[in-house]
Amino acid sequence: MPQQPSCTIKLPVFEGPFDLLFHLVKKAELDIWSVSIASITEQYLAYLKSMRELNLDIASEFLVMAATLLRLKSKMLLPRLPRTGEEEEEDEEALFQINSPEELFERLEEYRRFKEAAGFLGKLAEEQQKIYLRSAGSKIVIIPQKQMQQTYYTYWEGAQLLGEIINRIEAAAAARSIPPVIDLLDDLPVSDRSAYICHLLERSGSTLPLSAFLKQKGLWELLVTFISLLELTRLRKVILLQERHFGPILVRLAKENSRGTRTTQSAD
Amino acid sequence: MEREQHKALIEAILFLKEEPVRAAQLAAVLEIPIGEVRSLLSELQQEFVSQQRGLRIFEIAGGYQMGTAAELAPYIEKAFGEKESGSLSPAALETLAIIAYKQPLTRVEIEAVRGVRCEHILDNLLKRKLICISGRKEGPGRPLIYKTTPDFLKFFGLKSLDELPPLEQ
Repeated sequence: MPQQPSCTIKLPVFEGPFDLLFHLVKKAELDIWSVSIASITEQYLAYLKSMRELNLDIASEFLVMAATLLRLKSKMLLPRLPRTGEEEEEDEEALFQINSPEELFERLEEYRRFKEAAGFLGKLAEEQQKIYLRSAGSKIVIIPQKQMQQTYYTYWEGAQLLGEIINRIEAAAAARSIPPVIDLLDDLPVSDRSAYICHLLERSGSTLPLSAFLKQKGLWELLVTFISLLELTRLRKVILLQERHFGPILVRLAKENSRGTRTTQSAD
Repeated sequence: MEREQHKALIEAILFLKEEPVRAAQLAAVLEIPIGEVRSLLSELQQEFVSQQRGLRIFEIAGGYQMGTAAELAPYIEKAFGEKESGSLSPAALETLAIIAYKQPLTRVEIEAVRGVRCEHILDNLLKRKLICISGRKEGPGRPLIYKTTPDFLKFFGLKSLDELPPLEQ
């Protein structure tokens, strides 16, 4: 087990409101059933307050629990009215349907049991981590027909492509202090560029790496190329593909468009 | 075939199989009663330990599978890197514990115990194949219900779900 350096301040991280409540009960060294709602509410709110002071985000569940606690507390302070029907239960937040301290403590007890079970599972996993099962080390040894696994990117999924282009545009804009603004999409000679891209692809035998198209230096050129590629992808004239994560992106002519396909089929 | 040959064959099958092999499958191949298979397996297991071999036979996820001896872990890690299975966050462990003991159940039922929403955790556990969707619950909205998978048993080195200790009352 690695030791934490002694100077780090470690705030306990709570998995949720039950986790925090459970921690507070444990800190007070109390049995869950002997806790007073008033004192636990106070401590709970104090903790939320310190979280806010530290500018930590407080998940909404914690706030819902705070409201639940306050409602329980106020219920106990007020004289009990005869029940007026079910109206109260209807506007209850779905996450915590807790209407009495007993219910709260029951839920806490249940949470505690599973938290302990989780600890047990954690220990098992740690033990199992030391065992390398027969399958663990060897991926697939025998591949019946070696086939490249390809991920196809459609119009919407070229996130990496977009990232690459944006980086270049930003660098270019920064270098020349030109704001990258397009006034009219019609101004872009997209159809010319698209035709040129297809021409290049056909000449090279259908596939080229994306980087081959990004050699133009000008910002304008780059933009036009990018939009043309997107347009061609949308029209399914080219396919953008990547053989592995973070690998180079390839641009390939879609089958039906590529003239002179070399694959010959044996005639019957 | 003789007893020793039976054992050798079991060893060979377990070596080749990359997933747990059920005793019944071995019994079918060897054409001997399942009880006999189990006794051969336990003999083999003991031999691997007493001869201080690098391999062990583990009873896991309803079958038997070969793996490396736990005490070799630091050295194997050095040679092959850490196991890619990775560890689980406390939140993921909590969620798994709830599913393991109360399965099959819906997301809302899990969230009721934890007091926190856990869509992301469920997605993650599904991706890691530690849980799977076992169907839909009858009733309003027909929500999905979740259960643990054989990979769950493998991950925690359990023979079956019965091996989980009873929840403390």
